[in-house]
Parts: sequence; C-alpha cells; structure tokens
Amino acid sequence: MLSLTSRVGLARTSLPIRSSIPLLIRGIKTIPQPPGYIVGTVNDAYVPPKAHKLEGSYHWTSERLVALGLAPLTLAPLLGGTSTLLDSTLSVLVLYHSYTGFQSCIIDYIPKRVYGSLHNYAMYLLTFGTGVAGYGLYKIETSEEGGVSGIVKKIYTA
Amino acid sequence: MLARQGLGLLRQPITSSLLSHSIKLSSTRLVLNRSISTIKASHEKEQELLIAQRKNRPESPHLTIYQPQLTWILSSFHRITGVALAGMFYALTCTYAATSILGISFDSASIVGAFATLPFIIKLGAKAAGAYPFAFHIFNGVRHLVWDFGSQLTIPGVYTTGYIVLAATGLLGTYLAFF
Repeated sequence: MLSLTSRVGLARTSLPIRSSIPLLIRGIKTIPQPPGYIVGTVNDAYVPPKAHKLEGSYHWTSERLVALGLAPLTLAPLLGGTSTLLDSTLSVLVLYHSYTGFQSCIIDYIPKRVYGSLHNYAMYLLTFGTGVAGYGLYKIETSEEGGVSGIVKKIYTA
Repeated sequence: MLARQGLGLLRQPITSSLLSHSIKLSSTRLVLNRSISTIKASHEKEQELLIAQRKNRPESPHLTIYQPQLTWILSSFHRITGVALAGMFYALTCTYAATSILGISFDSASIVGAFATLPFIIKLGAKAAGAYPFAFHIFNGVRHLVWDFGSQLTIPGVYTTGYIVLAATGLLGTYLAFF
C-alpha cells in the first residue's frame, strides 16, 4: 500500500523542495535546477535554439579544417626546419584550436543553465586571454628566432 | 490485447466450479479498489503531481560506475592533454605579452637558461610531461579526424586505432623526451 501512495508522488509533496534553495557548488552560487532537470510539461513542444551565424555545421567544419591543417604544420618542425611564416601559421591555428577547445570546456563544465552569468564571464575571460595570448604571439614571432617551435626546441635541447 | 482477452474470458459463461473462486477474486478486488483512489485533477494539479514524481527520481551515477575501457579513457585523456597543452601555450604567449607590456626584459634565452640549471631528472620529467601529452594529442587528434571522415566507426575500429595511438604515443613521446 505504501508503494502505491509513493508512486503517485503525493506522499512527498509536503517535504521541503530542494530545488527552491540556491545550491552551492564549491562555494559558487548556482541556479537551482527543476526536479529531474526537466522544464515544463510532458506536452510541451521542442523549442529549437536560434540559428547562430558563427555556430552550427560550418563552425564544426571550420574546426576540422583547422585540425587538418595543424597535423602537417606540427610535424614540419619535428621533421625538418621551420620558417617564421610556417611557425606563425602554426601558432595562430594552435591559438584558435585552443580557444575553441577551452570554449567547449566552459560549455561543458560551467554551463549557463547552472552558472548563469558566470558562464558569460568565463567566456569573456577566455576571449580576453586569447587576445593577450595573440599579442604575446606577435611579440614572439617578431622577436624570437624560430618562433614558438624554436623556443620549444631550445628548451628540449637545453 | 491482454485486456481484450481478459474481457473475453469474463463474457464466457461461469461454470459452477468457478463461481466460488470468482466471488473470492471479486471480493479481493473490491478491497483493492477501495484502497486505490483515483483523483479528478486539473491540468495544474497533474503538473504538480508530475513534478513531485520527478523529485523521487534517483540521481544519475557518475563515471565511477563504468568499467575502465579504452574508449572513454582515451577520450578523457584527449581533453585533459588538450587542456594541459593549451594551458602551456597560453602561459608562454601571455607571459611574453605581460612582460612586454610591463617592460620586463624576457626572452627565450632566460627560459632556456633557467631550465638548463635544473637537475637532470627534473629536466627529463618536465620534458616527458610535455612530450607524452603532445604526442598523444597529435595522434588521437588524427584518430578523431579519421572518425570525422566516417571511417573506423566500429568497436574493432575504435580499439585498433586506439592501440595504434597508444603505441605511436609511446614511440614519439619517448623519442622527444629522451633523445
């Protein structure tokens, strides 16, 4: 008999609703999630996200193209010499590759659904950091012989 | 179908031998019927019940319930090595940017000079810590590109390419770190 009543879900309605209390994950205030992480009723139609100019299948393809280009550019300094042009191309592609990779990590581990505006701040910080890294890259390519791969090579033969 | 069959059985003439048994059954059913109460609920009330039901659902378990397998272990290592390598890249480039803006003299000679003074074993450890993740990410990245072209998307394919990646990582990582 007990199982029958609890199955209906009425038995637990008097308990305090966990989702109404803001949750603290590692000291960071998070957005309370609905029970079962489900929003709405069973009859709600799916609402697709708005199309974005920079995201979608082209975005995916562009990431693959960058990864495809990275493979030979990474092997070039390992097999033979490199030039400032080759190293600059490699470094810019690595920077973009790292940027999209970090973006994916933020999307996965600091989701907007749970962290709200903190997700946005993480993205802004990443974009800012990528800009700073881009400036540093310019400094490296203009001042260092062999660029980034040259520095790595010097460290590995030190 | 089952319900229909049940109805069909009920329509059959009840023989005297079955009669007492069926009376017993119906009396039991009456008790049950009394204990299960149905509610006439509005749409809002139904929604409340649904949410209450959702609260009873168990939490979904995490990765620890899975047996360690090549498939997902390599996948997680791909992300971990990627983040580590990208972190090193950002650290290097951002240091150049920061020192340039702040007017601190900094170049590759100072990094190499500092690195050269370290004990041999630490230098080797640092080189290995860079070389193996680098080699793994390169080879596993190529493996991902192979998948993106629709190839090797089978369990044997995933395992074969996975072992190739591990072997190649061992070779290139060792070469870069030790030679």
